[in-house]
Amino acid sequence: MGSKLSQSFGPRRVLHDVDVEVRPGFITVLLGPSGSGKTTLVRALSMLEPPSSGRIQVDETLYDFDSPHRGVEPPWPRITVVFQQLFLWPHLTLRENITLPLRKRGCDDALLDEVVTLFNMSEFLDRHPNQVSLGQRQRAALARAVLLQPSFLLLDEITSALDVEQANRLLGYLFELRQRSIGMLLVTHNIEFARTLLDLDEKDTFLFLDEGRVVERGEKDNFITPRATRFASFLASTGSIHTRGTST
Amino acid sequence: MTILEILTEYRPAFLKGLGVTIELSLITWVVGIGLGTLLGAIAHIWPRIGWIVRSIAFVIGGIPFLVFLYWVHYPLQIALGVVASPFLSAATILSTLNIFGVSQIVRSALDDFPEQYLDAARVCGLSQYQTLRRVQLPLVARQAIPPTLNLQVTMLQMTLFASLISVEELFRVSQRINASIHQPIEIYTALGLFFLAICIPMNGLASWLRWRFTRDISER
Repeated sequence: MGSKLSQSFGPRRVLHDVDVEVRPGFITVLLGPSGSGKTTLVRALSMLEPPSSGRIQVDETLYDFDSPHRGVEPPWPRITVVFQQLFLWPHLTLRENITLPLRKRGCDDALLDEVVTLFNMSEFLDRHPNQVSLGQRQRAALARAVLLQPSFLLLDEITSALDVEQANRLLGYLFELRQRSIGMLLVTHNIEFARTLLDLDEKDTFLFLDEGRVVERGEKDNFITPRATRFASFLASTGSIHTRGTST
Repeated sequence: MTILEILTEYRPAFLKGLGVTIELSLITWVVGIGLGTLLGAIAHIWPRIGWIVRSIAFVIGGIPFLVFLYWVHYPLQIALGVVASPFLSAATILSTLNIFGVSQIVRSALDDFPEQYLDAARVCGLSQYQTLRRVQLPLVARQAIPPTLNLQVTMLQMTLFASLISVEELFRVSQRINASIHQPIEIYTALGLFFLAICIPMNGLASWLRWRFTRDISER
């Protein structure tokens, strides 16, 4: 999906030649400590803040940021994002929140009903975001994204405010979305959530970002035998592993 | 004479004064809200202009209204060699104050607008027009309308000062009538009731809108 992505803000380089693979129908987990560049990477991939250099492939379209001719329309909502703070529009009801983006494209009532049922939203669909719980808001934000029928869905730290039960429910939703061939990039610093997710399907992968560089990528086995020292120390600091990696 | 008798007896004079007060207020409101909104938007888009507007508003805010009114109506006119009617002077000063007051409210609402709602609109594929009409304007309006209404109430009340440069508005008319019949309690009570009848609904509307908008928007 993204290759050799770099991002600089003035003289400060935040991302260094990051390669990210997100495949349709699979989940890529993006891990990393605070300040490692996870959100910057999401904003670059979604082209909210296009990268300084590198390439992003969305379906058949290649966005080449090394080329001087970058004036291409961003691929929204073929790539869409669910933000950590969700950013549902507060003056609209949840129903309006999820149907507003469909107005121009035409609202598919059958799909709307299907998604409302999937996320079990019918009871609170006509309330405003501030009148429902965080979990319900989160379901609405996911529903808003899913109804756009994106090819890629970027989920930025959406697990951060969830308790264990809510996180497990979210896992169920993510697996449902996978059945729809949506490629997902899930950003989290919740190691346990990432492990649980990777345990459930061995084809899902992860990458670990540190100081804007990918220092480890792989599958669930890497959690047991990490290759990079930095990843091992990160796991150790979260209590997920008590052994050290062998190399960087 | 009772209040009712005074109002009946001097109805033509009161109506004339009321007409001037309403005219002065409407000019102040329309010019202030129209140009103030425009200036606020310009100040938001171009921060340098915003800084100048803020500085002017700061200076104007430091000058007592009466001093400003007298200064524009007397010394400034002499200095410029022009003669403007008291009504024109009062309308100009009140409108100017309202323009800068409204511009500060609008600029602040635009400056404080959470950009992330726009990011959410972009990644959902909303067009710029849809984003402006369905997301940005409603949220900015919710922020700006209640304080703007409160400001308009203040501007209405400030039209009374126009009497001091001989504008024949409601307060000056009331003073004249009182000078001839010496019934200040009845006359100024009637005047107070008139302003209450206009200001209470406007302030009430501002409070209701603030409550209504906050109820929908704020996090619990």
